[in-house]
Amino acid sequence: MDRDGVNNVRAAARRSKEDKKVLKKQLKASHTLLKHEGVNTSPHPSRSLVVANGGLGNAVSREDLSAALKQFGDLESLLMPPQKPYAFATYRSEDGARKAHAQLNGQKLESGGNAVTLYLSYVDSVKNEGEASVRFPEGLTLLEDFVSPEEEALLLAAVDWSISTEAQKALKHRKVKHYGFEFRYDNNNVDKDKPLPAGLPQECLAVLQRCLQDGLISVLPDQLTVNQYEAGQGIPPHVDTHSAFEDTILSLSLGAKAVMEFRHPDGRAVPVVLPERSLLVMKGESRYLWTHGITPRKFDLVPACEPRSAAPEPDVSSHSGLTLSKRGTRTSFTFRKIRHQPCCCAFPSACDSQGGNASCRPSPPSLPCCRGDAARLEEEYVHRVYDAIAAHFSSTRHTPWPRVCRFLSSLPPGSVLADVGCGNGKYLGVNPQLVTVGCDRSGALVQICADRGFHAFVSDALSVPLRTASCDACISIAVIHHFSTQERRLAAVRELVRLLKPGGLALIYVWAYEQEYNKQKSKYLKDHSKQHNGEKSTGVPEESREPHAEPNVLTSSRLESKHCGDLKDEGKLSVHTNRTAFNSQDLLVPWHLKGRKTQGDEESSCRFSSRGEPSPGSDSSTSSDSRTSPDSKPSPTADANQVPGGSAAPVFHRYYHVFQQGELEELCCGVNGVRVQTSYHDQGNWCVVLQKE
Amino acid sequence: MKLLTHNMLTSHVKGVTKGYPLLIKATEVKVNEVEFNPKFVCRMIPKLEWSALVQAADQLGHREELPGELVADYEKNEDFLKRVHRVLLEVEVIEGCLQCPESGREFPISRGIPNMLLSEDEA
Repeated sequence: MDRDGVNNVRAAARRSKEDKKVLKKQLKASHTLLKHEGVNTSPHPSRSLVVANGGLGNAVSREDLSAALKQFGDLESLLMPPQKPYAFATYRSEDGARKAHAQLNGQKLESGGNAVTLYLSYVDSVKNEGEASVRFPEGLTLLEDFVSPEEEALLLAAVDWSISTEAQKALKHRKVKHYGFEFRYDNNNVDKDKPLPAGLPQECLAVLQRCLQDGLISVLPDQLTVNQYEAGQGIPPHVDTHSAFEDTILSLSLGAKAVMEFRHPDGRAVPVVLPERSLLVMKGESRYLWTHGITPRKFDLVPACEPRSAAPEPDVSSHSGLTLSKRGTRTSFTFRKIRHQPCCCAFPSACDSQGGNASCRPSPPSLPCCRGDAARLEEEYVHRVYDAIAAHFSSTRHTPWPRVCRFLSSLPPGSVLADVGCGNGKYLGVNPQLVTVGCDRSGALVQICADRGFHAFVSDALSVPLRTASCDACISIAVIHHFSTQERRLAAVRELVRLLKPGGLALIYVWAYEQEYNKQKSKYLKDHSKQHNGEKSTGVPEESREPHAEPNVLTSSRLESKHCGDLKDEGKLSVHTNRTAFNSQDLLVPWHLKGRKTQGDEESSCRFSSRGEPSPGSDSSTSSDSRTSPDSKPSPTADANQVPGGSAAPVFHRYYHVFQQGELEELCCGVNGVRVQTSYHDQGNWCVVLQKE
Repeated sequence: MKLLTHNMLTSHVKGVTKGYPLLIKATEVKVNEVEFNPKFVCRMIPKLEWSALVQAADQLGHREELPGELVADYEKNEDFLKRVHRVLLEVEVIEGCLQCPESGREFPISRGIPNMLLSEDEA
């Protein structure tokens, strides 16, 4: 036998009987799955193989896969259909294919930081899916090598990121800086009356002159937005507001390339690779009608045979010559001219001046980039909501959490306690031996406290009108998760600490991202067991799952696992589905407002299951009663809600930033003069007890 | 708003250093009956700013012969404790406002609840 043959045999013999059995089973499963994809495997050796799990959809790069395959023979072609979890390899000779089949089957391949197990099967032929060349949107031009590397360095250096806000740093949000005029994210428009003092950086002048000379623009832009995207960051699809800016918009890409997606209202999508140092010119339809966005991800699919990139061997090229390109940090300089007259473009449907649906941008807000935006977001999605739902909300918050009660009962009699964010006063009366005062941002909720005979006033948690070091203890139960920036959350903790006397204690509860802890689902999740929509809870990471279970032979894409199912784009707030695991940390949680019927409440609660005394409808959050019912989705155990006009019940959305494990502690460590005494997880919340030094 | 609450409140207008105690301008005052708990009142007294309490009670016309300074041995003085109880827990401002002694900024009291919210530029 020739050397290879001996090796083959040895390799085969190395596999134990058990391994062979497992491999056989997995291969069978792979055949079944591939069949669903329209790929028919064959038991007869041929020159072509399908490599299951060796696809672009598995984050496997062409380079890595072809390197692994080429060990066994000359590859004639390698076809990697985009987003698919498999690839097709055709060898020049059947021998190569056989060797690959024998040696690679069941073996692990490392690519891009991931390890996949490859399963190879013969195929009779390989369908060649040539991709029709896609045309650019009308009005769009891409000019490569628009600036030199020296100019690129100069421009990048011109931006001082050191004064980015803590919010931007902590949020892992793309970094944004405006020059000329401030762009506001709450209304997606510009403050035309408040030009920024500095104007555009000097370093941009040369580039802009070049644009003028080349006839790309006829007027110098007066607004610049610099965006810096790290791998994994993006910007949701949008049209630049018509009324804010004139027609031509210039976008210079520096530092790294990325793929920008253009989408037409009719559904057509065009991915455009923006190489480093290229200038994208958006005019007309591409500027006014198509949305553009950058999907937040760490890899892009780009053509494999780019003219300037290192040319791969010709025999490995194929019609669908795509490969994965890892993202670097890309900085874009977007130059625009402020529009002072209403827009009169030819695309009224997308035009805010002409009464069109200017929300090609979906209605959920973005995460705020500055204090003003944060305050506005919270006004809209926290304060306004609580004031509207106060009575209903209060009716669902009647059982104090035991561990909070324990804390309160442990305080010496006569202690002065401040409940910052007291809501309906649930905790104000727990320990009558304390001197307790509560405050809340919602006048309606404070009124409920007063009606109950508690001492309370209306104030903001960021600025509590109590003297420094006047309290023996403070509690903040389910409050800080309503602040929309890291800065504000930190400020809220600082304020609590300020109130404490030396040695004083603060108890903080915030909603946890991890609703399942120690394999115990929180009550928030438990009530939803039947309606689980197939999304994983945050428990076991996918990587650790062994491919023994059949359905997992073809591991699905992990590229965008962050975004599976949910409609979130980075920076945008997604609307959460009540009683499911959280997909992101910043979200809007629905509240279905049910009117209070005098007796109706009592009656409907009798009809529900033995889970106890639920309230009519709505979600539950941290301080909720453990026995609240599921939200207005029909529950398998309860009768449909009999509230008249229930289907038309108004839905409010409350903003939450749910905390990851350790995040609350870390936040508290950012405060001087205080020490974390205890930290724990309690029914879907992360909790700390702080002591002031 | 009861005077116990008032005793804890301070003006938090930006830049103000002498924001305590807030002046009370009441247009409607009520006196409720609240169960007297001498132990509780005893424990509260050391936590109070006594002069601020007296001043506040004065402004409301409910001083009730409270002494300008704490008497010694007040723990055993039930009469005294009852007076304190009344002023602290039974007298209630229903309508009016609280005024920052330094800036003059007024915080409304409505339906017994003080609204201490500041606008963005005051915070």
